[in-house]
Amino acid sequence: MIALYNSKTWKLSSYLIALVLIVPVLVMLVGGISASTQLFQHLWQTVLPSYLENTLLLAFWVVLLALIFGVFSAAIITQTDIVFKKQLRWLLLLPLAMPAYLVAYLYTDLFDYAGPVQRSLRAWFDWQSPGDYWFFDIRTLPGAALMLALVLFPYIYMLTRGAFEQQDQNLIRASRLLGLTAKQSFFKVALPLARPAIAVAASLVLMETLADFATVQYFSVNTLTTAIYDTWLGYGDLGAANALASVLMLLVLFVVLAEQKSRTGLRHQSARPNLQRELIQLSLSQQVIASLFCWALVILGFLLPITLLIIMAVQYSDIAQLSVLMSTGINSLKVSVFAATIAVLIALSLGLYQRLHSDKYRQIPQQVSGFGYAIPGTVLAMAMLSTLGPLDHWINGLAELLGFNAPGLILSGSLFAIVFALVVRFSAIANGTIISGIKQIPQSLDYAPASLGVNLKGSLAKVHLPILTPAIFVAWLLVFVEAMKELPAVLLLRPFNFETLSSQIYQLISDEMLEQGALGAILIVLFGLLPIVLLNKSKEKI
Amino acid sequence: MTVLLTIQQLSVRLQDKVVLSSLDLSLHEGDILGLVGASGCGKTTLLNTIAGFNKPSEGSIVIGERILSDGKQCLPAEKRQVGMIFQDYALFPHLTVKENIAFGISQLSRAEQAAQIDLLLTILKLNDYRESYIHQLSGGQQQRVAIARALAPQPKLLLLDEPFSNIDARLRNELMVEIRGLLKQFKTTAIFVTHNKDEVFTFADKMAVMAQGKLLQFDAPSVICQQPNSYQVADFLQLGSWLPCQVSSTGICSLLGELDIPNNYDKQESIVYLLLKPSQLLLNDFFDENNVANAQVEYISVTEQGYHYSLKSVDNSLTDDGLSFNKLSFYSDRALSLKQQVSVKIKPHDYLFFSQSN
Repeated sequence: MIALYNSKTWKLSSYLIALVLIVPVLVMLVGGISASTQLFQHLWQTVLPSYLENTLLLAFWVVLLALIFGVFSAAIITQTDIVFKKQLRWLLLLPLAMPAYLVAYLYTDLFDYAGPVQRSLRAWFDWQSPGDYWFFDIRTLPGAALMLALVLFPYIYMLTRGAFEQQDQNLIRASRLLGLTAKQSFFKVALPLARPAIAVAASLVLMETLADFATVQYFSVNTLTTAIYDTWLGYGDLGAANALASVLMLLVLFVVLAEQKSRTGLRHQSARPNLQRELIQLSLSQQVIASLFCWALVILGFLLPITLLIIMAVQYSDIAQLSVLMSTGINSLKVSVFAATIAVLIALSLGLYQRLHSDKYRQIPQQVSGFGYAIPGTVLAMAMLSTLGPLDHWINGLAELLGFNAPGLILSGSLFAIVFALVVRFSAIANGTIISGIKQIPQSLDYAPASLGVNLKGSLAKVHLPILTPAIFVAWLLVFVEAMKELPAVLLLRPFNFETLSSQIYQLISDEMLEQGALGAILIVLFGLLPIVLLNKSKEKI
Repeated sequence: MTVLLTIQQLSVRLQDKVVLSSLDLSLHEGDILGLVGASGCGKTTLLNTIAGFNKPSEGSIVIGERILSDGKQCLPAEKRQVGMIFQDYALFPHLTVKENIAFGISQLSRAEQAAQIDLLLTILKLNDYRESYIHQLSGGQQQRVAIARALAPQPKLLLLDEPFSNIDARLRNELMVEIRGLLKQFKTTAIFVTHNKDEVFTFADKMAVMAQGKLLQFDAPSVICQQPNSYQVADFLQLGSWLPCQVSSTGICSLLGELDIPNNYDKQESIVYLLLKPSQLLLNDFFDENNVANAQVEYISVTEQGYHYSLKSVDNSLTDDGLSFNKLSFYSDRALSLKQQVSVKIKPHDYLFFSQSN
């Protein structure tokens, strides 16, 4: 059937929205590419090779570790009779709520020369100086990789677990009837079938790693994100920062393409996923090893850091901290509420446009608006600065020309830039949720109102929006939480003296004073738990 | 009776593919039309085009005096006063039964709405479910809600897209009779789409057979059954099985014997096909020595009307002329065995010959 509506205003506004969302990145790319070759030569001769090397090495280690953590834990949970399976099943998701920079700080605190672990060891063995013993140094590239992997592996765990659980059990049964043991059929059938899902998850981890800023900055590992940050804030060199951001953008683009490619393989879904699965019986020693592995991930990735945070909060919290927390919290709230609301409105408008409009290319605005999810916050911040800065100058020039007072940096120097960046970055999340909500509405419901004499407005108000309410709520919440947590874009774009929860905690971490912000950190973790609870709930329903 | 719906030279292209071509159809007020055809023949497209969900590339659709679409204008779906019952019912999951029915009549006053809803709930025996949500209802009840909702705005024409396909086979007949009674009670003109000819025989006053975007035959079901106008129509409706025959100046010859040429015979081809209903085949007694075996039992199934046999021709000198037959079906109480050779003859009747080309 054809789509029903052909409003021109709707069409125009949809394409306009998509255009506005993509323009800053295009401007930045053009700026980066057209940067003088001299600049590139200079960068290449000085810092770029080592930044690139670090970025790639870090990415390699994080993905490798996260794969080991995620695939093994997913296999253990879905394929074996491990004890406390029901609890581990969701506990393994929790590290996702933990920002990597928090874990990094807490473990540095714990394992440093001055930290409690080394202090106790010295007391115990009566060592006097660092020369007396060897202890691993956490503030290194492998250390950063471990920190990132500890909080990012749940992506792989979640998608791989889903893949295993959605597999057609008759395939496994067939392989058993053809003579394979449970273990053999896992390695020969289940694991190969889950490969596309694992690849998608790995590319998500890769993207998060490329986007990470605070962890590597804290560990003084120079990657592209830290380079962009330093080049802009340290040297004020917009051209060089744009150039570096463009290089990072290219890396991300490769990952996105790889991800899209592996997604096409994600079709091994089954109509019979709920058949009883036969589990691999673990021997006692296997039980112990499997349990140690899973519990270590849960403890190191979530329970230990949150406990450390709570202890800090109890020991150091006072009224002064609370009032700072209030003011930064309100700032965070403001930014996140704006971003979530705008992102959801855009997602709704473009999602319904794709569903209901007769435009032949109606999916394009929606697709374009969702590309931002891959762009690291630092890159996005550069994009905003290189687009909104000139725009501000132009506005000021115009104002002066017309005899008004120059309004100042009303776009690039205000909340506008942050909210804009957050909307670009997280529109994809809102899109995904709203689109999957829209897809659940049977096509016939689009037509039924018209057959009863009700027009588009009535249909939207009385049918589509009410049915989409739960999806709208979830989409809003997901974007809200991500916006609360977002750090690099906020750090680069925030107006003078404007702190959000995450930027304030980052400042405290840089100054080795997280104690002062432990409450805020706990708050961020709690917000991070919300989508996990939601995700887990919706997964249970399936 | 006055003509309600007139469709002239209607053509529809979807994604550059001709789905309907030069279709003519007219329907009287109160008529129920059953639209049959293989899947992909364009019947649902026709329904959607009448409803306003597709744009015709040519032709016109007129209801009463009102032009729904012609070369110049195309009335939007919500202004056509054409109701539709969707295959999956398309009931609004977030509204109650009552609210679903009220959906299309919000322009009426509250009292009028209430009266209309009460009337429909009573007639459709849904009074106990007034405040229920759709997921709390059975399939049959959901269908009744869909009917009530579609009838509430009193559409000039009601369209039903495979309305019975989701209904349990045992309930289906009963429901069809019930809904037909309802439509007649409301004097509603209706078109319904199905791929099941038996539904048309039970439900409709008129029947239209479609294939590849064209209307093959349009008449009362009984007429089409007795006088299909083409090989395609008879074959699609499975009105009988086919016996190849050779035409010569002296007569028509088949592997089951010579046949007289009917008076109105107009075929030019040398090979034609005789439509044979199972009741038009007779089993010869084998004790008579004149009877040579001319068929062989290929398949046996047991039915409520006795054994159903599928016959194939026995090899003989004429087989090469393309007269061999297979899947000739007939019923008998006599028990035959697989591969058994039998002698059958054709009961004299008004022979219907068809050429395969048209």
